[in-house]
Formats: sequence, structure tokens, C-alpha cells
Amino acid sequence: MIRISLWRQYFRLVVEALPSARGMLPLVALLGVWQLLQTGDSPYFPAPSDWWDGLMLLAKSGRLYSALLATTITLLLGLGLAILIGTGMGLVIGVFPRLSRAFGPLLEFLRAIPPPAVVPVAILFMGYDERMKLTVVVLAAIWPVLLNTSSAAERVHPLLLDVAHSFRLSAFDRIRLIILPSAVPAILLGVRVALPIAIVVTLLVEMLTSIEGIGALMIGAQRNFQSSQVYGLLVLIGLFGLLVNNAFAVFEAILLHRWPPKAQSRNL
Amino acid sequence: MFMYKDRFIAGINWLGIVVVVFVGLAWEAAVRSGLLEYEYLPAPSAVGLGFAELASQGILAPDIAHTLISVAIGWTVAIVLGISLGFLLGLSPTARRYSLASIEVLRPMPGVAFAPVGLLLFGFSLKTEMVVMILPVLWPVLVNTVGGVSGVHQGLYDVGRTFRLSRKDTILHIIMPAAMPPIVVGARISLGLALVLAVVAEMVGNPEGLGYGIVREQQALRPDLMFAYIVTVGLVGIALNAGMLALAQALFPSFRQLRSGR
Repeated sequence: MIRISLWRQYFRLVVEALPSARGMLPLVALLGVWQLLQTGDSPYFPAPSDWWDGLMLLAKSGRLYSALLATTITLLLGLGLAILIGTGMGLVIGVFPRLSRAFGPLLEFLRAIPPPAVVPVAILFMGYDERMKLTVVVLAAIWPVLLNTSSAAERVHPLLLDVAHSFRLSAFDRIRLIILPSAVPAILLGVRVALPIAIVVTLLVEMLTSIEGIGALMIGAQRNFQSSQVYGLLVLIGLFGLLVNNAFAVFEAILLHRWPPKAQSRNL
Repeated sequence: MFMYKDRFIAGINWLGIVVVVFVGLAWEAAVRSGLLEYEYLPAPSAVGLGFAELASQGILAPDIAHTLISVAIGWTVAIVLGISLGFLLGLSPTARRYSLASIEVLRPMPGVAFAPVGLLLFGFSLKTEMVVMILPVLWPVLVNTVGGVSGVHQGLYDVGRTFRLSRKDTILHIIMPAAMPPIVVGARISLGLALVLAVVAEMVGNPEGLGYGIVREQQALRPDLMFAYIVTVGLVGIALNAGMLALAQALFPSFRQLRSGR
């Protein structure tokens, strides 16, 4: 019984994450007017119905699915690695105050460099391949996770650390049982920041190098003046971003749902 | 005065500076001794020389100027559009109800995805850069303005009613000051984003400025110059952020929560 009500709560979270239908009016109206005004073949502003045809053309050739798959895999794998490495390094840096003081300025400077600037460096060092694409995404997405984790690990409530002391927990257990759980809301916040960065960098690499992916497909369509495909892919990328963002929002809500109320009120 | 100075010196993170210097020296030593095998890794000294080369050839300054100009244009447009639309949506619950979902749908749209559309419409030009920049730079200002305006405390409205303020005066003297902190925070986030997107747009959409400089030197196999450009972008970002903070603190000395905007 408890299980079922829990799932119902999750379902409610999913529904709440969805935008209300009437708020879509301006967007729908814009597309409708565009469709009505655009009757002929336009090389610049093709009608929305043509966008669909353009996408279908790509889908039929099979290039759309493989590109979508390549982009999704790079994004998820890159984000996953960035979360793992960022959380790990962030915990280590945050647990030892000396370390955080020592590496603080260096990390601040590295963070100041816009993530897309890493792309040409990686191309130069690693050449045009999948490994490079993944490295770039990890390098770009790691900073928000790392910095959020380390600052959360630094600011664990002293009382909790006293508890660890009373129970004579080992350093490893202290991190595993006390510091990591209390840093989870901050880590999630970091991932939320890293998510759009990872998407932008993935698309940018694909556009610059034409390694397989949605970005490469899009820039290819633009070079061939396939405007309907460009707009179709733009909508597809928009939907992709929306899906990834909302999926994460739901995941975050479910995770934080079971978190201490204090942590929830601080971050939601 | 002396106490302030003492505290300032004590506040300097010497350990952190030592680490930065040490990493730089180790990098230099590793490259010079051939310990690091990467073919294209320049030593920090080479990057410094690259700086000097770019500056003496007179390329660096125009590139910085171009990027700063596109940042300025994109940011200004975003602020004007964002604040005016934000006030409209913040003041009218009906307008909010009938458009918030559209904003939520458009918001996760990555800026780079607009680059091919911009190229299609305008070719390699500053306009393409704007197509890439406008929407992503708009969102923080717009969303923070809507939040700030619609979140004005009911008590403040009651004060306005007690003083029988006109609608115009209510907006000018009650809503504007109350909504200003989140708007400034949004503007600051937008400024940082504007720089990142200008660099992205210059990489794919407009072969000019710092972003193109990075790509150009990468393709020319001049890693020293490429790193010089990257460091420049980082420094420009730090300078813009510091300038924005100083400006905000000069304009609104009363609030200090700007730092939470990150």
C-alpha cells in the first residue's frame, strides 16, 4: 500500500513538472501564423509543415537515429563521468580545508575559462574522434559539480561532524555516511547547472568537427541550404533539451523528496 | 586604515598562490625537459611569448574589441527586452498564465543550435552572432524580472494603497526598487553567458573576435597563440564580472546578496 502511494506521489511530481497547456498559446500561435503566411517554397523561412518533411527525409535515410543516438550517448556518458569525477574530487577537496585553500585560486581561474574554449584544445591534442568528444564534455561539465560538492562538503553542519566523532567513525565512513549524504542537494544543483553546459558543448564539438551527432547533421543541412531540415533539427534539439531537463527535474524532485526537510527547503 | 590593510594581507591566500606558481613552474619544467610527451602542449613561457606576439602584431586588441562589442549589443538587447517583458509578465497574472509554458519550453534550447539558423539567414556576420546570443542571454534577466516583480510583498502594495499612489507611482516607487536585486543578479548571470555565447558564435558563426582566434590558431597548429587567446577570454570574463559587481555596488550600495547569483 505504501509503495503505491509513493508511486502516486512520484506521478504527481511528474505532472507538476509539466508546463500547463494554455501557457503554450504564444508558441502555438506563432507557429500557426508562420504556417499560414508561408505558402510557397522559402529558402529562409520554410513553413513548419516543411520542417516535418525535412526531418522525415533525414529519418528515412537512417542518419537521424544514429546521430540522435550518438549525441545522447556522448551527453549521458560525459555527464555521468563528470558527476563521478566531480563528486569524488569535490569531496576530497572539501573534506581537507588545507587542500581547498591550496587549490582554490587555481580552480577559480580554470572555472573562469568558458567551457566552449576547451573544444579547440581537445581537438588539437586528441584529434577528431569519439574519445575527444567525450573528454570535452566531461571537462566542461565537471566544474559546477566539483565546486558545488567541495563547498557543500566544507559546510557540513559541525554537529553532524561531532556525531561522527562520537561514533569514532573512520575517515572513509565519515565521508560515506555523513558528508556525502548532506552534500547531495548541492551536488544535484551542480548537475543542474552542468546539464545545459554539457548539451551546448556536445553540439558545439559536433558542429566544429562534424563527428557524428545532431550538431554535425544540423551544420551539414545548413551548408547544403536544406533550410527545412535546419528548422526541423532545431525543434528536435529543443525537445531534446526539454526532455533531458525535465527528466532531471523529476529525478531531482524524487531524490530530494526523501531528503531531510532542511536540505529540501534550501534548494528547491 | 592600518587594520583594514592588515586584514587584507592576511586575507590573501598565499598557499593558493604558491600552488598556482608551482603548477606553472612544474608545467614549464615538464615541457622543457621533454617529460610531457604531448606534441602540442606549449610551456607557460611560450604562451606568454604568444601574447606578446599577438599584441605586437596588433591582432589581439581588435579581437577583444569585437568580442566586447558583440557582448555589449547582445547584453543590452537582452536587458531591455528581458526587463520590459518581465515587467509585463510580472504585473499581469493573465499574461503569465498564457505564456509561462512557452518560456519553459524555449528555455532549455541550447544557443549553439541557433548558429545554423543564423548562418542560413545572415551568413557569417554579427547578426548570426546575435541570433545565437539573444535567447540564452535573455532568459536569466526575463525570469528574474518576472520573479522579482511578481514576488513583491503584499505589505508593500498595501503601503502604496495607503499613500494613494497612482499605478505609475506604484510601479516606480514600490515595485521597481523591490524587484531590483533579482534583476541585477539576472543581469550579472546574463553578462557571463553573453561572453560564453559570443565566443561560441565566433567559433561557428562569425569568423572574428576571440572565439575565432582560438579556432584559427588551433587550425594553424599554433598552440601557444591558441592558449594565449583562451587565457585572454578567461581574463575578459573575470574583468566583466568584476566590473558588473562594482557597478552594481555603486548603483545599489544597500544590498549585498549579489554574490549569491552564481
